[in-house]
Amino acid sequence: MMDQAPVLMIVVPVFASLALTLIGPLGHRAAYGLLIASLSLSLTASLAMLVQVVQTGRAVHYRMGDWMPPMGIELVIDHLSAGVLALVGTCSLLTAIYSLHTARQDNPDRLHHYYALFALLVAGLLGMTAAGDVFNLYVLLEISALSSYGMLARGRGPAYYATFRYLVMGTIGACFYLLGVGYLYIMTGSLNMADLAEILSRPELRESVSVRIGFTLIILGIWIKMALFPLHAWLPNAYSRAGTTTACLIAPLMTKVSVYVMLRMMYTVFSADYVFQQIAWSRLVIFLASAAAVLGMITALSQRDLRKMLTYIIVAEIGYLTGGAWLANTAGYTGAVYHILADGIITLCLFMAVGAIIYRTGESRAAAMQGIFQRMPVTAAVFLVGAASVLGIPPTCGFFSKWYLLQGAVQAGAWVFVAALIIAGLVAAVMFFKLLEKAFFGRLDDLMIEKSNGKPGTAALKIRMDEAPLTMLLPLVFTGAALVGLGIYTNEVVQYLIRWSVPSGI
Amino acid sequence: MKFIGTVIVCLTGGLLLYGTMDLPDWGDPGSPASTHLSDYYIEHIMEQTQVPNLVTAVLADYRGYDTMFETAVVFCAGLACFLLLRDFRPKKDRYFRHVPTGVMLHFKNPDTRMIADNEFEHMDKDWVPSDMIIKTVCRILIPFIQIYALYVVAHGDFSPGGGFQGGVIFGSSLILMAISYNLKTLVKRVTEKFLSIFAALGVLIYVGLGVGAMVMGGHFLDYGMLAPLLPSDPGHIRALGMLGVEIGVGIAVMAVMVIIYVNIVSEGRHDEGL
Repeated sequence: MMDQAPVLMIVVPVFASLALTLIGPLGHRAAYGLLIASLSLSLTASLAMLVQVVQTGRAVHYRMGDWMPPMGIELVIDHLSAGVLALVGTCSLLTAIYSLHTARQDNPDRLHHYYALFALLVAGLLGMTAAGDVFNLYVLLEISALSSYGMLARGRGPAYYATFRYLVMGTIGACFYLLGVGYLYIMTGSLNMADLAEILSRPELRESVSVRIGFTLIILGIWIKMALFPLHAWLPNAYSRAGTTTACLIAPLMTKVSVYVMLRMMYTVFSADYVFQQIAWSRLVIFLASAAAVLGMITALSQRDLRKMLTYIIVAEIGYLTGGAWLANTAGYTGAVYHILADGIITLCLFMAVGAIIYRTGESRAAAMQGIFQRMPVTAAVFLVGAASVLGIPPTCGFFSKWYLLQGAVQAGAWVFVAALIIAGLVAAVMFFKLLEKAFFGRLDDLMIEKSNGKPGTAALKIRMDEAPLTMLLPLVFTGAALVGLGIYTNEVVQYLIRWSVPSGI
Repeated sequence: MKFIGTVIVCLTGGLLLYGTMDLPDWGDPGSPASTHLSDYYIEHIMEQTQVPNLVTAVLADYRGYDTMFETAVVFCAGLACFLLLRDFRPKKDRYFRHVPTGVMLHFKNPDTRMIADNEFEHMDKDWVPSDMIIKTVCRILIPFIQIYALYVVAHGDFSPGGGFQGGVIFGSSLILMAISYNLKTLVKRVTEKFLSIFAALGVLIYVGLGVGAMVMGGHFLDYGMLAPLLPSDPGHIRALGMLGVEIGVGIAVMAVMVIIYVNIVSEGRHDEGL
């Protein structure tokens, strides 16, 4: 059983998705149960692989159809992908548990079809992470992209338009990636990542213009997909208009997996040596990343809608991740990989907390935060932990990723990035203190009055506990605990997981 | 804005052309793409899989895992299309023809009792007066198109073709029926439930063959492991596995083609449309 874990992890959600389209008549409980069961199985498989990789210290290889790698396709789970797989599995299972009330609210009539897309999206993300073949990665990118378009367009209001924009941008990104893979294939004749890496390290290909253009196209395509600063315009609208469940699933995972793909391309297919000596864009990229961090946070500060605010925080966090990846030193790389895990959980935590607040108050403006500590104490406390992680207050994990990133930036002498990290942190502090002030001291009356169109007295001015339902609260509390837990065990995560994946040459 | 767009497009095009500078010559037999893996495939495919069509062997066996997810992409597109477009509210605006007199009537809010009456016939809003020639020709053509589609699916491992192509041809024969008669004729014969079951079933056949190989103790999609289950000579088992996979692909593609067509032309209502 154990040696089949890599493929089971991906095939079980695909299977669940097929079954989900057919079990409509059995009702929403059956659909919910089937989704949870399949994602739990998938998570078990990915955790088993994480344990195996950490214990043996070697990557797991799985040959599809038993063909030898350059001829057939293989899945490779090494230290880097094992961590991301565990993140994807955990976040998707938590979102599935969370979705009992929200998904039904957003999709009253065809929940099972929505869940089928949900399962396909998870399969796509897991497959992208486990892929050991650049073309296979593209196919799974298509799966995750198509299913995310379908899910995002189910949102409220003008979600169709926002999603259409995302569809155009996402397709351009995927095309660039595919074109780049095409150039590499013409130059090398191979699609397998390990084989490509071996061929590309030959001296005659180091100087090749075509390989350089291939690299450029691939990286540009991934940047569009992960919404790096000048290419991020599609993200805020598409994500903030999505349904709560959709946002909780897609916001933390899509961009993080894209960052993972960027790391994979930079360090596994190409080498640190090639990227930083031959291409040598680091200065430009770090500048873009710094701009993303600062402008993302400042735009987030200026938002009145809670979810829009969170989406701009994602843009800023992508800046942190990209900067860390291009610093070309061990501390920066460690910070970037650690921050993929940390930021996945932070984003999930914040989106879930805001989703719970919206579910109870029906408001997505910042005004919904008024007096939230009295009405929804648990949600508010978890939101506080999430906010502390974005700010980087110990012992939450946000502190440690910031620490590694700052360390890397100082070592690399990238003072722009150092300044960007500090300024973005300060802006985030202002933003969250503003919100938390409302949450602690805001008078509940204000929200009620606002809701009743400015007429006091018509609204019921009772302050009472109105906590989110248990299925929403449990995953939320879990993410809050995970943020602190990941922070406390930073040393172990770095020592057993990330240190092993540090590429040679940086 | 238009100007900036033009500049960006020109720059990207220039970049792509610049990238072709040290590509190998067109059709160069010494290029990496024709020497690195192709030799292995050409030399070993016949003995390893007994499938004469190399493209099919690479597509459905060596890189079968990719093709499985390509099928899932098609399925996903159909699912997303259904989820977004399908509208279960009946349309109010309807046209009827009074059969004895041939008078067309337009109702904003039709009385359902009258619809039940045999004297009135529900007409398509985008209805084109049905032409006897078109109807007859299509009625004769459709079965041949379908037989040809089955041929393309079944002979994927010997000649050009396979599941994707066959599925598209079969789907287009059904769409031809909707165009030459009307949408209701198609929806009555090929129901929504039938289509959604078939779309899932096609992918399920593919995944099922993979899982079957796993249950028999091999790797995922290792058709060779299915030998004890099928009454066939073991050398030929991979070709049979590929045929099974192609049939799955064909079914899924056929169903998804029709799902997308019906949902788009009828604005998700499945009652009338081009």
